[in-house]
Amino acid sequence: MTSSTPESYLAEWNQRLLDFEESRHVSLLRRAMRNLVRNRLLLTGTILALLVVGAGLLGPIIIGGDYELINFSNTHATPFTEDALLGTDHLGRDTAIRLFVAIRVSLAVAVGVTGLALVVGLALGTVAGYRGGWSDRSLSGVMDFIWGFPLILVAVLFAGGLGEGLLSVILAVGLVNMAAIARVVRGEVLSLSEREFIEAARAGGLSNGRIIRKHLLPNILAPALVLASYYIAVAIIAEAALSFIGLGAQPPLPSLGQMVAEGRNFLQLNHWETTIPGLTLVLMVLSVSLIGDGLRDVFDPRLRHEAKGVEAT
Amino acid sequence: MTENSPEIQGILDEYQQKKLSRRQFLKKAGAAGIGATVAAGLLASCGGDEEPAATTAAPATTAAPATTAAPTTTEAMPAGPTKGGTLREGYNRDVSKHDPITTNWYDPAFFAIYEAIVTIDPDGNFVPQYCTDFGVSDDGLEYWFAVEDRQSHSGGTITAADVAEFYRIQKFSFIAGLAAPIGSYRSEGNRVIAEMNNPWVGTYGPLATGYWRIANINTWKDVGQYDDETGLAGEGVVASTYGTEVVDATGPFQHTEWVPGSHSLVTRWDDYPGSNVPYFENKGPAHLDAIRWSVITEAGQRATQLENGDIDTLINPAHQDLARLESNPDLTVYRHPEWSGYFMFMNQENFPELFGDLDTRKGLSHAVEREGMVQALLFGNGAATYGPFPTPDRYYEPAVEELNNYDVDEANRLLDGAGWEMGSDGVRTRNGTRLEFEFMVENESLQVAIGNAAAAQFSVVGAQANVNVVDRAVWFERAGSDQVPAGLFMWLWPISADIIPLFCNSAVIPSPNWSHAREERIDQAIADWQAAGTQEAAQKAQSDLQLAWAELLPNISFINQNATFVKNNRVHGWAPFVWLLYPYYNDTWIES
Repeated sequence: MTSSTPESYLAEWNQRLLDFEESRHVSLLRRAMRNLVRNRLLLTGTILALLVVGAGLLGPIIIGGDYELINFSNTHATPFTEDALLGTDHLGRDTAIRLFVAIRVSLAVAVGVTGLALVVGLALGTVAGYRGGWSDRSLSGVMDFIWGFPLILVAVLFAGGLGEGLLSVILAVGLVNMAAIARVVRGEVLSLSEREFIEAARAGGLSNGRIIRKHLLPNILAPALVLASYYIAVAIIAEAALSFIGLGAQPPLPSLGQMVAEGRNFLQLNHWETTIPGLTLVLMVLSVSLIGDGLRDVFDPRLRHEAKGVEAT
Repeated sequence: MTENSPEIQGILDEYQQKKLSRRQFLKKAGAAGIGATVAAGLLASCGGDEEPAATTAAPATTAAPATTAAPTTTEAMPAGPTKGGTLREGYNRDVSKHDPITTNWYDPAFFAIYEAIVTIDPDGNFVPQYCTDFGVSDDGLEYWFAVEDRQSHSGGTITAADVAEFYRIQKFSFIAGLAAPIGSYRSEGNRVIAEMNNPWVGTYGPLATGYWRIANINTWKDVGQYDDETGLAGEGVVASTYGTEVVDATGPFQHTEWVPGSHSLVTRWDDYPGSNVPYFENKGPAHLDAIRWSVITEAGQRATQLENGDIDTLINPAHQDLARLESNPDLTVYRHPEWSGYFMFMNQENFPELFGDLDTRKGLSHAVEREGMVQALLFGNGAATYGPFPTPDRYYEPAVEELNNYDVDEANRLLDGAGWEMGSDGVRTRNGTRLEFEFMVENESLQVAIGNAAAAQFSVVGAQANVNVVDRAVWFERAGSDQVPAGLFMWLWPISADIIPLFCNSAVIPSPNWSHAREERIDQAIADWQAAGTQEAAQKAQSDLQLAWAELLPNISFINQNATFVKNNRVHGWAPFVWLLYPYYNDTWIES
């Protein structure tokens, strides 16, 4: 130790603490990257997600066309017929183009919902868990109240207030998912707040904001991201479900749920109109779920140790 | 085949040459002394059709429905009516309150529970049902109906005075305006008299519909605590359980259960004295024990439930399932033009910048490929409509077919001429206003498909219709609120001449004249119709109305679907025909 004054002594310890935290994160990241490659769930999920996202983003550019364009002389075509890669629907619209646009819609909703839920959920959960007292009680009460409502009911309420459409879906699903994330984050923060490194940071005189930014957030981000990956799947399913019942994407803008709903009346005539968007929905949710499971394996030390134990035996 | 007597052979020959219907054959055979069983055997041996083509044919005085199809499946004739069993019928709408005065629609159950004072026979002629005879005075100002005192389901008695009182209360109903030329009702002995404001050829039409079917008005008043001061707005009437729990009428079946969203159930009234309808074969109580209507709003489910044996008869299967049902030898499909139509309203008063000028409306109308919609959406089971009436209507004016034809070039020319300039994004603008509007559509699969199809066709000529799919209740609430520029509506009513004026008469703004159309020509044609004392005057008024609609476009007509009914061949005596919305159930029985 070279410091001579108490202030410089404290500053040096703070710096060493920060360096330690930083090195810990670097090693965590490196380890995570290594696991990304080794983890089969994660790899499979990522490949599937890349395929679906790639189709959504590049599909319309590659094959071109108008998802609204109707053709009464070529309705209910099966895949690979009449110049229609994936067939046509009851109005003669190209299923492939509509599918790719629907994937975009699902992704946009998923990103919108999860972004909203993650940012607000993290903020509220952290404040509630870290500050405690009346902040915790009031925020937790609100979160529990929101979490207690069925998602569909919230969506119906939003649709009633704002009208049917994607905005209502994003706000409704985002609100419920936000409450879920906030509750988990609050629990994590409560646990972390009692840990030594936080105590040390407090003792070191760091401000609450700095402790949250520098010490709490990095530690809760990983579990929050794992949780968010799960809620991406929830958002995709919720959007499809709400569009299926007419509360989500409004025609002619396609969405997977709406395509399934429109196609179900023609199951015996041309099941592809339902099967194709249905399978796409399954693939999207499966890929996100696999990624979530993979991330959990990577970030959760208990599962890592269990895995090691299994390998050892 | 054994040799038949010349008389019987003659009847058989006539039947095989389709000169006789099955009913006529059985009657003639009976007159020739042949028992029902033997007659049925003879029919079976020569391939008897359950219902002849004539069942759905138009009367000789009107143009034959172009798309009328005879039942498609032949079946062996069973021995004869057997009593018992519950008919399970699939219904494509939710069940409505079984009260003719306050209901918002009438279901098939009205044809089982209630009797109208007159009804319509398969040839399109009015015949007695509740009454025993009817007629009109020489000056056309009084229509009389002879009625006997009738017992009702509750055991009460309905007199001619009660029937007149029922009609008096019915005039408070929202639908009563359809019979506006009928000034009042009174009774004289065993006659009910309708006193006319003016002679009117349309008098019998509304009286034969569900809204004028006769309830025991005494029970109705008791349950609803009716008083004359408040009319139908009285608290007692609003909170009345009449039509949901209590129903009292004179039809062959009694109201038993009414569960919205699920089903309604009626059971046979054993004290039914028999019907006055001349073409009913069964003159006594019904053969069936009960009828249960299951609500199947999911279009794709209807046919499947029939094929699976979950239901015996079906009203309006999805159009895409028809070919499959028709190829099923266990089923019989009935198709005929339906008294209905899909049209788009355009609110001209609150959105004059969009729809205030005729050329814009005409431009949009010319952008619609109606024939293509019929093929793609109805699978050919319907017709394009260029005016307000379905083509088989007795007053149909074919000249409307020269107007509003699919012509994208003409549509663009009209919109250009109206000052709408095509924007770089494919949407036209005029004086800074984009040709973009909300297009409200009810959340029902066919209506959504029609809305989407119309919107896609409008976009081709630079009009952006943003389809907004809403629930039925929301649709009506918003359509009447002056805030919706355009919407799709499907009307269903057995007499086009009565219902169409509601959607274009300036007297009924804002609802159901959602377009807020104020066209002198149209109003005059409607007034002429309600003052028409002769068929010639009626035809002229109706032609004027149709041409004015097609030329001035208060609404844009799209298409009209066929009414379709399907039954399992175990069901007999269930024979829907073109002039009525639903079949009667007096003759219906199920083969055990």
